Amino acid sequence: MDCVLQVENLCKEYPKFKLENVSFSIEKGSIMGFIGRNGAGKSTTLKSILNLVHPSAGEIRFFGLDLKEHEDEIKRRIGFAGGAVDYYKRKKISSIVAVTKSFYDTWDDQAYTKYMKLFALDESKTPGELSEGMKVKLNLVLALSHGAELLILDEPTSGLDPVSREELLEVFEYLADKGISILFSTHITSDLDKCADTITYIKEGKVIASENKQAFLDRCRDAGWGNNIEEIMVHFEKRSIYEKAID
Amino acid sequence: MKKLLTKELKLFAAPLTYFFIAFALMTLLPGYPILCGAFFVCLGIFKSFQTGRETNDILYTVLLPIKKSDAVKARFIFVAFIELVSFAVMTVLTVVRMTVLSDAAPYVQNALMSANPVFLAFTLLIFAMFNLIFVRGYFRTAYATGKPFIVFIVIAFVIIGIAEALHHVPGLAFVNAISGEGMAANYIILAIGAIMYALITLLAFKASCKSFETVDL
Repeated sequence: MDCVLQVENLCKEYPKFKLENVSFSIEKGSIMGFIGRNGAGKSTTLKSILNLVHPSAGEIRFFGLDLKEHEDEIKRRIGFAGGAVDYYKRKKISSIVAVTKSFYDTWDDQAYTKYMKLFALDESKTPGELSEGMKVKLNLVLALSHGAELLILDEPTSGLDPVSREELLEVFEYLADKGISILFSTHITSDLDKCADTITYIKEGKVIASENKQAFLDRCRDAGWGNNIEEIMVHFEKRSIYEKAID
Repeated sequence: MKKLLTKELKLFAAPLTYFFIAFALMTLLPGYPILCGAFFVCLGIFKSFQTGRETNDILYTVLLPIKKSDAVKARFIFVAFIELVSFAVMTVLTVVRMTVLSDAAPYVQNALMSANPVFLAFTLLIFAMFNLIFVRGYFRTAYATGKPFIVFIVIAFVIIGIAEALHHVPGLAFVNAISGEGMAANYIILAIGAIMYALITLLAFKASCKSFETVDL
């Protein structure tokens, strides 16, 4: 299958945290769940692959193109959304869209109208009037209207009620069926049980697994680490209060 | 670039930035340090940077399919646009004060700076300092606006103080002239002010591009 994103040996150093040789790849039309505890390095990795932060080392290739050399073209072909992404709260959606669409020669007004209707969004509203789930959907509409082939989503389900989360996961599956690839970070493991094809698990800045979800679950079950992603994460991450006290 | 400028005008700019262009009208105030008008125009632009931070403008911008240096260029053009529109208003009002209103009593008896080419030169210098200290300072982090603006306030008021005091210095009365012998020197000072504005703004733009490329957002 075609690879839409390849990350190889990505490193980023902060005074009190570092990403170490993070590597993974995503195939066309697949959904990758990017999991790890709060502070494990998920957002730093996503920001690095969007060139929002500058990695100390490593290679990032989208659609076979190097990020540094083809940043404009790559950004035309990807979309980014997340719980924290919240632009121009008091501007009308129609005003934001009017400006945004001018940057994409691939913008499809019909697709925009279709997805706005599908996600029940009203362009006369402002982002500030939308619920958290609707804000994520608005970002998805913008990405899909310019024909994004890969969606990078930073904790898109955080802060959503169970029904909104379920709806959003359904949207992801619908988009994957249409050949759109999705990389989404989350610490809500039940999201992944429902819709992820592959899992990349990051712990303290290092990838400890990046593979097919079922293969990952089978391997962990056989090793006695847990029967689902939540149990596996708890197995790897939990330290008792007594252990912490010794430190 | 046209698309990015439209974005700056429609999404980035705070309405207050446009309203504060009206402070250029302070050029007409008699018995008032009229250079403060330039400072208030900068204060209006500062408001856009503040609201831009609240609205995640910079993240929206860098996720667009553009070069980061183009984002910086668009921001500088926007700032220069507001400054030069204000400057144009100040220039018209200065000409009015130097011609039609030259004999008006409140202006004749004015102990403070006259509206003349030297006033316009100092206006450009204040705008240039805003670009160098505040706008360039902002692009060091693409976040912090407070510290660079405080430094700019200090510098701006030092410039205003010097400009207001200058014509009281023996031998420098010509800097306050609105006609007669001192005018040639006045126009030379205005030309120097214009050159300094262009060069300092260019320097600030280049330095901003360099630091914005390396800043982690």
